[in-house]
Amino acid sequence: MSLSNIRYYFKEGFSNLWHNRVMTIASISSVIAALFMLGIFSAMILNVDNIVSQIESQIEIRAFLKDDLSEENIKLLDAGIKSVEGIKEVTYESKEQALENFKKQLGDRSDLLAGLEGDNPMPASFIIKTTSPQVIESVVNAIKGMEGIDQVRYGKDIVEKILNLTYVIRIISLVLIVILIIISVVIIYNTIRITVYARRREITIMRYVGATDWFIRWPFIIEGAVLGFAGTIAALAILRISYSYAVEYLTRSFFVFGLLPASVVIDNIFLMLLSIGLIIGIMGSTLSIHRFLKV
Amino acid sequence: MIEFKGVSKKYSGNMIALSNINFFIDKGEFVFLVGPSGAGKSTILKLILKEEGPSSGEILVNGYDVTHMKPGDIPYYRRKLGVVFQDYKLLPEKTVYDNVAFALIVTGAQGSAIRKQVPMVLSLVGLSDKAYRYPRELSGGEQQRAAIARALVNNPTILIADEPTGNLDPDTAWGIMELISEINRRGTTVLVATHAKEIVTNMKKRVISLHKGNIVRDQTRGVYSDVVK
Ligand SMILES: Nc1ncnc2c1ncn2[C@@H]1O[C@H](COP(=O)(O)OP(=O)(O)OP(=O)(O)O)[C@@H](O)[C@H]1O
Ligand SMILES: [Mg+2]
Repeated sequence: MSLSNIRYYFKEGFSNLWHNRVMTIASISSVIAALFMLGIFSAMILNVDNIVSQIESQIEIRAFLKDDLSEENIKLLDAGIKSVEGIKEVTYESKEQALENFKKQLGDRSDLLAGLEGDNPMPASFIIKTTSPQVIESVVNAIKGMEGIDQVRYGKDIVEKILNLTYVIRIISLVLIVILIIISVVIIYNTIRITVYARRREITIMRYVGATDWFIRWPFIIEGAVLGFAGTIAALAILRISYSYAVEYLTRSFFVFGLLPASVVIDNIFLMLLSIGLIIGIMGSTLSIHRFLKV
Repeated sequence: MIEFKGVSKKYSGNMIALSNINFFIDKGEFVFLVGPSGAGKSTILKLILKEEGPSSGEILVNGYDVTHMKPGDIPYYRRKLGVVFQDYKLLPEKTVYDNVAFALIVTGAQGSAIRKQVPMVLSLVGLSDKAYRYPRELSGGEQQRAAIARALVNNPTILIADEPTGNLDPDTAWGIMELISEINRRGTTVLVATHAKEIVTNMKKRVISLHKGNIVRDQTRGVYSDVVK
């Protein structure tokens, strides 16, 4: 493929777009709509994932001890827990400390606990942090079976609720996005079909004078790719602006903190959106060429 | 150069356009293909151009086995065939120069080759001074000259013309046929399907006469004749 050929393909591709302006605008708009939606859902998923991982990293396991364990037993347990794989930190909280902390939590109403010092009902416990959220389950299972452990608790429910929420968002967005992508492909398919029709005389002559099939195809493929590319870039620009506004608004009016900044979101989805945009464009034109060019 | 061996062509619906056609055209020959409407002249040209494939038989052109050619070879095969039609098939939004250059561009030719070749063929067909006119600004004869220039710009070994003078008055038709004859003198093999009786009779070239899909006469210095056997 020589340089002059490539110049020809682009020249013809862009001239198609210009001659077919109305459909060009319609195609680009449909790509913008599809990829903007895709961008919004991706931004939501990225933010929820971010929140989940923040919560997960804060999750601690609390292992309550049976009453009346000797110092010796507690030391043994401490060593046993520390030897489990995936443990980052183990802190011991005695019965007295537990009662003290509970009092602090109650603050003004701590008088409710008066007189309990003699018969302290609070259990002693180990507070355990793991190296990653993925090992929580296995650590819990390992500790549960240890001698002297009464009960093990951790924030399982919160994590599961959030994971369920992201699952629902993912499904809804996937369905919507697939529909929007199909609509874009169909519109681009029709756009290219119109240019193929407008250039049918030229295509006939090209065949007679010995143009290869690929030579005939390239301008149309470029036309489709440009439609996809332009739509993607516009969608990313609109997404960036509107996302920044949304974050600012949520923070100011609803005190939602910890949302990802626009630049992080765009960086994360840029390549995915660009590839999908180009695939939409090239697919639309390839289908059209296949159907109407018969080369 | 061009050889048909037992070629038959059936279109859909059992329409037999050609039955058992045999002929051989040597390098440098000038051949007229004549016969009444529907005799199968255009079908023979379409088979040579590989727009259609034969139902049976073999076609050999320029050393290619046209019948069994790989689709990828077709464009390169066609570059050695120049083709001219009754309706010229010029692109209305391009100048004469660009119409001719188009045939080179789509073969991926270099800009320098295009700038050299196009003026050369335009001068050969006598259109040097009309290079930057649009087809609508030309007479029918001039448009056909532009189309011939486009057919020649790739230096074809064979020129194929389907009723090239069909839309032209007799004087203009003579001019076009003389141009084609001049191209033949320069070494290009020529095959012309035509109804132009007078021209065929006067030019004393080889004439292959078709009737209802059969060759009824093949004369080396032939005349146009309506008489069938
Ligand atoms: N694509 C096609 N499908 C079906 N039948 C066809 C097709 N093309 C040609 N025919 C038939 O084949 C026969 C030969 O047609 P062809 O075009 O070769 O004739 P011709 O000699 O060129 O006639 P004319 O002088 O009118 O151009 C005709 O009867 C025509 O109707
Ligand atoms: Mg015909």
